[in-house]
Amino acid sequence: MKKSSMTRRLFLLSTGAAATGLIVGCSTAGPKGKGYSAIAGAFEPNSFIQITPDHQVIFYLPSSEMGQGILDGLTTLIAEELRVQPTAIDVRQASLHQDYKNPEMGMQATGGSNATRAQFLPLRQAAADTAAAIRNAAAKQLDQPLDKILLADGNVVVGDKSYGFGDFVAVAALMPVPENSPLRSPAQFDQIGRERPRLDALDKSTGTAEFGIDAEVENLYRAVVVRSPVLGAALEGFDASAALKQSGVVDVVQIKSGVAVVAQSYWQARKAAAALELNWGKTELGSWSSDSIYKNFTDSLNDSSQKGLECCNEGEGDKLLNQSETMVAADYYAPYLAHATMEPLNCTVAVEGDSCKIYVGTQSVQVSAGAAVYYGDFDADKVKMHPAFLGGGFGRRSLGDDVAEAVAIAKQSGRNIQLVWSREDDMSNDFYRPASLVRMQAGVSKQGLIETWAVRRVGPNIMGHMVDAWLEVLAPDYLNKGFTDWLSKLGHPLFNRFVADASNGDGIYGDYDTPNKAVRHVTQDPGLRTGFWRSVGHSSNAFFKESFIDELAQRAGIDELQFRLANMKNNPRLTEATELVAAKAGWGKPLPEGHFHGLATHSSFGSAVAQIAEVSIKGTQIIVHKVTAAIHCGMVVNPEIVRDQVEGGIMYGLTAALYGEITLVDGVVQQSNFHNYPMLRMADAPEVEVHIVESQEHPEGVGEPGLPPLAPAVANAVFKASGQRLRDLPLRLG
Amino acid sequence: MINFQLNNSPVEVDIDPDTPLLWVVRDHFKLKGSKFGCGMGLCGACTMHLNGEAVRTCTLPISAVQGAVITSIEGLGTPDNLHPLQQAWVEHSVPQCGYCQSGQLMSASALLAKNPNPSDDDIVTAMNGNICRCGTYSKIKSAIKSVSKSGAEAMRNQESMVETFDPATANLKREANS
Repeated sequence: MKKSSMTRRLFLLSTGAAATGLIVGCSTAGPKGKGYSAIAGAFEPNSFIQITPDHQVIFYLPSSEMGQGILDGLTTLIAEELRVQPTAIDVRQASLHQDYKNPEMGMQATGGSNATRAQFLPLRQAAADTAAAIRNAAAKQLDQPLDKILLADGNVVVGDKSYGFGDFVAVAALMPVPENSPLRSPAQFDQIGRERPRLDALDKSTGTAEFGIDAEVENLYRAVVVRSPVLGAALEGFDASAALKQSGVVDVVQIKSGVAVVAQSYWQARKAAAALELNWGKTELGSWSSDSIYKNFTDSLNDSSQKGLECCNEGEGDKLLNQSETMVAADYYAPYLAHATMEPLNCTVAVEGDSCKIYVGTQSVQVSAGAAVYYGDFDADKVKMHPAFLGGGFGRRSLGDDVAEAVAIAKQSGRNIQLVWSREDDMSNDFYRPASLVRMQAGVSKQGLIETWAVRRVGPNIMGHMVDAWLEVLAPDYLNKGFTDWLSKLGHPLFNRFVADASNGDGIYGDYDTPNKAVRHVTQDPGLRTGFWRSVGHSSNAFFKESFIDELAQRAGIDELQFRLANMKNNPRLTEATELVAAKAGWGKPLPEGHFHGLATHSSFGSAVAQIAEVSIKGTQIIVHKVTAAIHCGMVVNPEIVRDQVEGGIMYGLTAALYGEITLVDGVVQQSNFHNYPMLRMADAPEVEVHIVESQEHPEGVGEPGLPPLAPAVANAVFKASGQRLRDLPLRLG
Repeated sequence: MINFQLNNSPVEVDIDPDTPLLWVVRDHFKLKGSKFGCGMGLCGACTMHLNGEAVRTCTLPISAVQGAVITSIEGLGTPDNLHPLQQAWVEHSVPQCGYCQSGQLMSASALLAKNPNPSDDDIVTAMNGNICRCGTYSKIKSAIKSVSKSGAEAMRNQESMVETFDPATANLKREANS
């Protein structure tokens, strides 16, 4: 692989074409200096940009590319200010360095749909300062006034003469790098906002894009891990004698999560793993099944002595609930869900003495590196990260559990290993989207205005499980391991009893003008670990909120669109998106026989999205023919990618709405592969039309906001088509 | 010893006979474009051509490949010599995460080789075994149609021939066209 990528790089350089994809990094980043390795003679103004004497602009991408198009988006920002074609920039995934921390998160991670929003100005500033430095150097070297030096299409233009950037890098490297150089104004933009096929499309259409699973190092063995059928149970003993006799098997080692088989090939390791005999201890999770979990949630919902934690309390809270003209109440449920990224988790580790190289597709290079330090006992400066493309992330690749397993196996077996999870491993060892049962209550005036909005939720938190997964790998390495291990467990009581996990309230009360709001969450957690799943709390809360809004409108006898607009006067972005989608989908206009429209509107990650689903019913089958969407996400970097992300969110959301459900029997996850955890396929994929609200405001999120409104839009259409108000996900007609 | 043709070259391999073709191609021959997704033939990420037919190679034992002609994504086209479908994939900006796309392209190319003028139903039937978690189905469909016989004719009628994609000049061409 190294050879092929070198060959490819040389080919691309020699033909003058750009490498648009990820080259598995060669960074030896430490805490000091730049985030990348120096190139002889290159101008290196900051950790994001290098310009070589032969005119190549290299951009170190600080966010992880997992399909959301951030490689394209952030490269476009650099191209805009540096006056270079985006396709001419050599983009490399940044390795670990403090300069690559996401400014909003304070850590080197990708998630929360904020990569463009958080880096829109800092990256442009880095490129604008670099451009100014090149101009200053050119002015000095050519002895010309600065205002005669222009940058255009990757060249320095002086009168009728044109030079490559590389002609000035030697002088630029000796001059101070300017700061706070003026940024181009939106009126000047010729890259930002332009419609263009994404930069990584070529690599991803030829099998040459390098994902974590494609890593190849010398003397590489393959490893698989057998874990407890009930997540988190301790290993009480195992017999590896039969497995060790199998062809190609070189080692069997015990690690924290289970037992690993190391063999010459993946297939040998996988077959031998079946021959392991393991004894697992008992855990509390083993006493829970989906039925008993649901009953527990229901009992808790009905037990008013369980106060729970306050997520929101505005105005009079829920005190005036019964004083409105109409009071409506309904209970809703959303199940646990798995992420099911197309690329199963994997990690490749090459150990060289006391240092190691980690090849992995990760949403957080920092978390992954921390996992190597903690679980592989490596010094932090001895871990070299080689981040690759992610075959889907959706929140799953943010935990470092893949790296934790892989380094432990490599260390114990003393070999270079590639750990590959099977689909079954992935499905039964996820950090699941938490299930939740909620009681929605609202008081509505005679005029159809929502006066009180009250929500009582029951279910697990996410943050306790996150602290458990993250604390060890993010804690400073001078802390004693026993201490960090102890500390990591405190997240559970903290977020269960004292501090409301923000994701429980996300999107369940904010969109409408209601003066009085109260949202409380009661934690009931059987112990199945939970995590960030595309759009997190919004993924279920939007379903509850937007289905319930339709119920309120219908009780009030008011058109669902008009009811929403009347109640979102203080939400201009959502209003614009809603009006746009209503016009584009033809809300209220006749549809083909048997087809019905359902509407849902929702703000998340700074953006507002409205969707109208066109649905028909055949027997008990729900057929989604078309989804029309409008998004208000501020300024757009590449409209093609914004539309793709909204459409992708719709498809991901539709899989969940129609099929998605993780169930437990005696603590064991019952779903194992795509036959019993089905995905939306082409035959059932609706036509999707995405419209973007024109805006010059600061960019907001697009990776996740397309998902939340989908389930309620479909459910609301199903109600129109069938008269059945489906309050449980996935949507199933009786 | 198993002998077969891989991307127009004769190859031989001595390996456990039940090893799936996918792992032989990926880890023995180091061609990494075909992907592992499910191991049960349910998702299509591992799709290659066996004697011209699209097959799921994560469940196809190498012993069944003796004497066969195998084509993987690496044999379909290369960055500097794209198959028309790959070119369409780039122009339609099909991939998101990209992990499933090698398999999607192998299913689509097997379809067009047999049926250069597929109907919408033909496309869905041929492509329904390939899962895309990112939801690129509508773009996959449009890209296939643009390369199909009728799609290509429609494009010729509009005098908008498919361009050769060259990343170095793509923008300039597009700007010149706009």
